[in-house]
Amino acid sequence: MQIFPLHPFRPQGDIPALRQQVRDLVAQHENRWSVLQRANCWFSFDAEFSKALGAAGLLGMTWPKQYGGHERTMLERYVVLEELLAAGAPAGLHWIADRQTGALLVRYGTEAQREKYLPGMARGEIYACIGLSEPNSGSDLASVRTSARRTQEGWRVNGQKVWTSGAHKSHAALTLLRTEEGSERQQGLSQLMIDLDTPGITIRPIIDMTGTHHFNEIFFDDVLLPLDALVGVEGQGWKQVTAELALERSGPERYLSSHILLVALIDAIGPEPTPEIAQQIGRLTAEMWTLRQMSMSTAAKLDAGEDPIVEAAIVKDLGNAYEQALPRLVQAAVDVDLAGSSALSQLLAYYLLAAPSFSLRGGTPEVLRGIIAKGLGLR
Amino acid sequence: MSENRALLVEMAEGLFADLAGASFEAAWPRVAEAGFASLLVSADQGGFGGDWGDVLAVLRLAGLNAVAAPVAEPIIAHALLAQAGIAAPAGLVTLVGRSGRTPFGRHADAVVSVADGVLSLHARGAFTVEEGTSLAGEPSDLVKLTGAPAASAPCAADLDGLGAFARVAQASGALESAFTLAIDHVNTRVQFGRTLAKFQAVQQALAEFSEEAAAVDAAAAACAAALDVGDAGFEIAAAKMRLGLAVDRATPIAHRMHGAIGFTMEYALNRYTRRLMAWRSEFGNDAFWAEALGRRVAVLGGHGLWREVAARTDRLIGQEA
Repeated sequence: MQIFPLHPFRPQGDIPALRQQVRDLVAQHENRWSVLQRANCWFSFDAEFSKALGAAGLLGMTWPKQYGGHERTMLERYVVLEELLAAGAPAGLHWIADRQTGALLVRYGTEAQREKYLPGMARGEIYACIGLSEPNSGSDLASVRTSARRTQEGWRVNGQKVWTSGAHKSHAALTLLRTEEGSERQQGLSQLMIDLDTPGITIRPIIDMTGTHHFNEIFFDDVLLPLDALVGVEGQGWKQVTAELALERSGPERYLSSHILLVALIDAIGPEPTPEIAQQIGRLTAEMWTLRQMSMSTAAKLDAGEDPIVEAAIVKDLGNAYEQALPRLVQAAVDVDLAGSSALSQLLAYYLLAAPSFSLRGGTPEVLRGIIAKGLGLR
Repeated sequence: MSENRALLVEMAEGLFADLAGASFEAAWPRVAEAGFASLLVSADQGGFGGDWGDVLAVLRLAGLNAVAAPVAEPIIAHALLAQAGIAAPAGLVTLVGRSGRTPFGRHADAVVSVADGVLSLHARGAFTVEEGTSLAGEPSDLVKLTGAPAASAPCAADLDGLGAFARVAQASGALESAFTLAIDHVNTRVQFGRTLAKFQAVQQALAEFSEEAAAVDAAAAACAAALDVGDAGFEIAAAKMRLGLAVDRATPIAHRMHGAIGFTMEYALNRYTRRLMAWRSEFGNDAFWAEALGRRVAVLGGHGLWREVAARTDRLIGQEA
């Protein structure tokens, strides 16, 4: 038996036309994007571009039409994502809503929640973030303590989330909370969809070491929410979150978020590289190409209704190893002025500093390898 | 999986499992008799009429069982001869690549080579053999073409590329076997009062190993799919380079997990790891394929790389998986 049985990626429909649609849309908007805006692009923001993607039917692609979706396949959606990433298109505002929050609402949300959020998400106008980590709950997510208590007026939420990417730009946070007093670990957790303009919520920025504001702290101080903020089944939050994380880990952003650095390297080197640089480019290309095959195979599994948790962990772990090695290999192989203004200079300087983030978002290598080891029956 | 492939796999699984550990003298007659050599030859020409996906399935199983006989080379040699309209001679027909090193060359009845777009078939007597031994302890002989070819014809195939694909396919099987041995070992070996598998450091190392095996499987499958629609130059270069990384990362883990037992001739691990180490060099090493791929990418340019990568899988749409 193969350790990682493969699913061939054979999307239906006119895929070249879909690619061209994304490329044309990027070409219409890219003039206003700076080099650094295109770096790590699923974390950078352009509201007009998000709306344009929505208007073109390229958000909420797999969701039901009645909620503003387009009922296309996961594989078609995959093609759109990889084109956006390869082009370095700033898609951060809608990324989380499109990738997982919307998908989770389709699966577990109430009719009212779907009607409230999904059409706006599919238009690229409603953005979401994910409230998971807390000051004392990082890799050990099951230790979350922020609480929601059922009262006669509704849910009363108290506590703090941290490392919440994009909270300052988001309209709502799908938040994992302890809804059963005295419960332990994976028991007694539930997900609530929290509108971030609710009184009692404070969002504070955390500036990361690249100087960028993605991270936030969210404080909940006696925040009162309607009872229908509950998403899915009370007490089933852990199971719901785990399914969501498979969506979070398997996508092409796990090996393409720094693709434009490879592009800049190739363009800076030109058509006649030395043998050494040609080998370096060849090696990086081989890794990128292989990751794409693996990522596409995982997407095909999702499309077939499987839950490829181990495969997603493999893609993410290999992907972040590749993405962390990329700037270091470029730095070692090519003499780049890190204070310079060329695209390669700016991108290399940025990615050297951003690379540590690749192994924290979506799970550290140790966490991911633990998931794989479990899949292999070792624990 | 097609019905034909399922039957082929069942037959190869049984035969190769039987031949695991057998010598060339014991293994080769049975491999020859099974008729793998005609796998890619069309049914019209009296062959099996298979595709590259079938070849991958068979070579993976050959690697999985460390079969000590040439399985890959005759398949490619017969396919190229059939394409060129040259009748294949009886016996072992194998390949001579750019290095001249030919597995089991001393046993060959004829050899196929391709140079400057021309395929040549040399019969015994028209080539010399200088004997050598591979890392896996198999004949690895230097074949020199000294006489006139028995036949020649124009040929567009990249013989080293096809050989490289074969090594990736075989290696995907060998990686799985080395991995299975390591898993079995850590699940049974007790130290410090518990099985090695209970140690986090061991779990993490084996998880890394599985990632490398998965990468090679994905690369091999992508090459087979590309070969079935036509040009696979890009895919094969990437896959053979990626295999180099996988061998680099995974074989040390396999040995580390086993301690001294894995370093003995008696224990089976070396059948796989020695072949993996040898195959990394055969039909072009990391540097050879990385440079070939890097030059190709440099000409495409940064954006051209992505367009090429996407177009190469989009051409598979509508093809049977």
